[in-house]
Amino acid sequence: MLEGNYRLAAAIFLGIFCGFLLVKSDLAWRKTCLNMFLLKDGRLIKTLLFSLGSGVALIYYLQYAEIITLHVRPGFFWPSLIGGIISGVGLALCCRVPITVIAALGAGRLYALWTLAGMLLAISFVDLISGPLSSSIYKWSTPLDAPQKADYFLNPANPALWVIGVSFISLLFIQFVFSGEPEE
Amino acid sequence: MRILTGKWSFYINGAFLSGMIALCLYLFQDTVGMNDGMIMISEYAGKTVEQTTEHKEIDLPPLDWQTGFLGGIFIGALAAALMSGNWKIRFFQEKESGIISRSLKTVLFGFSGGFLVMLGLQLAGDSFLGQWSGALQLSGGPWIFLVSCFAVACGVAILLEQRNAGGE
Repeated sequence: MLEGNYRLAAAIFLGIFCGFLLVKSDLAWRKTCLNMFLLKDGRLIKTLLFSLGSGVALIYYLQYAEIITLHVRPGFFWPSLIGGIISGVGLALCCRVPITVIAALGAGRLYALWTLAGMLLAISFVDLISGPLSSSIYKWSTPLDAPQKADYFLNPANPALWVIGVSFISLLFIQFVFSGEPEE
Repeated sequence: MRILTGKWSFYINGAFLSGMIALCLYLFQDTVGMNDGMIMISEYAGKTVEQTTEHKEIDLPPLDWQTGFLGGIFIGALAAALMSGNWKIRFFQEKESGIISRSLKTVLFGFSGGFLVMLGLQLAGDSFLGQWSGALQLSGGPWIFLVSCFAVACGVAILLEQRNAGGE
């Protein structure tokens, strides 16, 4: 594990790569994200499905080989569901998530400043209402179980196998449906 | 040179995205989401407003690995956009006629959308990259979040599009 300045330097280099990737994959552009939500463009859906399938396999094997350890924040059913619905409405309006706002600003889309301002204000707002939140939706359900680890990869009870299978079958389907669009 | 100037295929993008998350887990041994970085920036913005109104000296922005990552994204996107000829100054999100309509739409959609996206992410407990990383690690919460988020985003976007088409 990296510490101190090495950690900071690695984060900056990875951030530069991430910014590059967001522009190259079209994730930074509002129009392509909107077209994905309108089911008019399969490029981003294919990117996300491929990332899901390959990422689950990669993380499964890296964890199996004890190269990495899993790090997830504890999840709760109702906050995740309500949070997903609220974020979904916001995403349909601005078509941006925090990292793509930063990438859009880097690419000169100054109107993304409004989105960034809204995001920063939301953090302060959540800070203000954290008391009522802690005593309401976070108490409606117990924390969800930690990710389960299967003994071997081809075990039918291995959730990773199912996610990879469904991702790649969906990818093939979407590739077929959007086969007419130009792919650079 | 085409790798620097052209678009990348979906499988290259997808593989790099998942590889980057795995590398972050290996290097930082921490949740990959940049939630803490955004919280630091929000606190810094609030503190700067206070210092400005009280005519005090303004502190330097916080430099942690998470804010460093966000700064890196800005530099990387700037470089990629310049190399591919996509760097353009844009003040409005849509090319509509009428400056008042364009301005209102940009401010309203941008600000309210950003507020709602971050509100939902804060309720769910992590930023979008963190949720994606959690989904790759097969955690239940991020899957609930991502499925509901994409389903609602598609539904609302289609409704808004139909409403716009009906109004024209």
